[in-house]
Amino acid sequence: MSDSEIAISDGPSGGVENKENVSLNPHAQVCLQQLLRVWLGFERDLSTVPLIRRIDLGTYTVEDHLCFLRNLRQQVIEGSRWITRTASSFDSEHSEIRSTIIQHAMDEHKDYELIEKDYIATGGSIEDIQEMSRNIGSEALHGFLMYRSSRPNPIDLLGAMWIIEGLGEKMASSWAERIRELTGLGEDSTRFMAYHGHNDADHMQQFYDMLEEVCLTQESVDIIVKTAKVVARLYRLQLEEIEYEIR
Amino acid sequence: MSVYITSTGCFLPGPPINCEQVENVLGAVNGQASFLRVQIQKANQIETRHYAIDENQQTTHSNVEMATNAAQQCLDRAFVARENIGMLAVASTQGDHPAPGMASMVQAELELPSIEIISTHGICSSSTMALKAAWNSLRLEEHDAALVVSSELASRLLKKQRYEAATESTFAEKKIDFNTEFLRWMLSDGAGALLLQNKPSPKGLSLRIDWMKGFSHAHAFPTCMSVGSSGRIGETKTWQDYDSYAEAERKGALLLRQDVRLLDNIVRMGVDGYLRLVEEGINKPSEVDHFLCHYSSHHFKNKILEMLEAAGVAIPQERWWTNLYTRGNTGAASMFIMIDEFMRSSDVQVKEGDRILCFVPESGRFNTTYFHLTAVSA
Repeated sequence: MSDSEIAISDGPSGGVENKENVSLNPHAQVCLQQLLRVWLGFERDLSTVPLIRRIDLGTYTVEDHLCFLRNLRQQVIEGSRWITRTASSFDSEHSEIRSTIIQHAMDEHKDYELIEKDYIATGGSIEDIQEMSRNIGSEALHGFLMYRSSRPNPIDLLGAMWIIEGLGEKMASSWAERIRELTGLGEDSTRFMAYHGHNDADHMQQFYDMLEEVCLTQESVDIIVKTAKVVARLYRLQLEEIEYEIR
Repeated sequence: MSVYITSTGCFLPGPPINCEQVENVLGAVNGQASFLRVQIQKANQIETRHYAIDENQQTTHSNVEMATNAAQQCLDRAFVARENIGMLAVASTQGDHPAPGMASMVQAELELPSIEIISTHGICSSSTMALKAAWNSLRLEEHDAALVVSSELASRLLKKQRYEAATESTFAEKKIDFNTEFLRWMLSDGAGALLLQNKPSPKGLSLRIDWMKGFSHAHAFPTCMSVGSSGRIGETKTWQDYDSYAEAERKGALLLRQDVRLLDNIVRMGVDGYLRLVEEGINKPSEVDHFLCHYSSHHFKNKILEMLEAAGVAIPQERWWTNLYTRGNTGAASMFIMIDEFMRSSDVQVKEGDRILCFVPESGRFNTTYFHLTAVSA
């Protein structure tokens, strides 16, 4: 076991590579404080989701992993849709944030293909994962995100990105290696989880920049935080629903 | 009713033990030097610590003796007659006896007659539980003065004989059993004591207790630090469920374990509670002059601390103070030992009006506790 496994490391979602660059206005600071709490509460509550608890307790199986990937695929496909919709809903006064989000969508819009490859490497068939429909939680999450992203200048979606990006980082730092250790699966079964986290670390500075740009009032703080809370709750619902498929 | 810490005391058994000497005291298991000691010591950065066992692993001071010595020093420094003490609160992870409560035993040694007692049970945060019980008693005007003691004798759990006897445990089976060995190179022994009164000391600085808060997250997380089960996946038996204590020991159910993978969660929940108190307007980081943290600061040198800085609520490193590196991690006793030295150390000049935030997290099953003090004079 390496040193890095001893030290208490890594907080929530991605890190700040160069913290000297971070200088947020007071509203953005309060927003970040509240987003941190939403994240930490989300992360704690994930530990109560049966599938995730099995990762913690060491009873996670290959079958669990197949089920997890089947359920993740739809979320990732829908993810690129709401992000592109979000970009198109910003007007020219928000061109900076629009550019950032377009780039982000470009980076990730074919991630679902990675999940499909992982699924096959884990022993599943391409038909099974492609035929899988959205679970109840994915329906609710997708519906909410498409509704919010269709509104003009939907700055509250920063709250959604905060949660979903954070989870990408968590998958890479806490789950991917642990899943391989517990199941004996190879790296080709957790490429999506591992890659996704690596990629998300680069997005953190961009996140601060976007927050600084759009979070200028208490009202902005409130809607960003509220959307983060709704997304956190619906994302957990999506993971809880996986259990119904297993049973 | 305001309540003040008017005196402090501590007791650290034996001489300071440096990193190289540690295995001489705890003993090399089956005569073999540990593969993990240096690595774990390097990570925790503790330079010296104390043990209440000698190099033959014989106990030199009982837990009750250490608690009593710290309490006695605290009383010797206090401007209060012993008969005014109405309550004794004692915290420890494990007293010398599983029963009765440790407060009974410490009371007997201190010969404090007919007082109210409370023993709190837990790990590190049991000290805050004891302090809060005593604080509340004084706030309710039940007593004029209360003595709060926390003491820890971890080395009896960490000596080589414990591991050698666990012949059918994960420790015996694995070449390296990180979770079982981790705490062996982390914890050590000691005791601290605080005297609480309903008025400040007539001389010198007292510490007014402004608020105390705790948030436990056991509902969400599995157990992270424990004694009493074998550490095997799916095993539900605890130590008294085995036919004999000898069997429990063989199976490794009496070894102290830390599920290192879950440990990050205590930092996360620590930050969550900290931010919750900011949100509620109770915790005002910009006004904190000194931050006493049971965790060492290098544990926090990570992304989450950077995020607190970005969010404008971090406490600058120069306001952190700890004696962990020289006194060791003494679990429940750590914070009281820290407060005692903090008030006496020449490293730091505590002034009237200084505000002190104390943080005691417990990884056992994720309890986080916070309290705030202000230095005042009579």
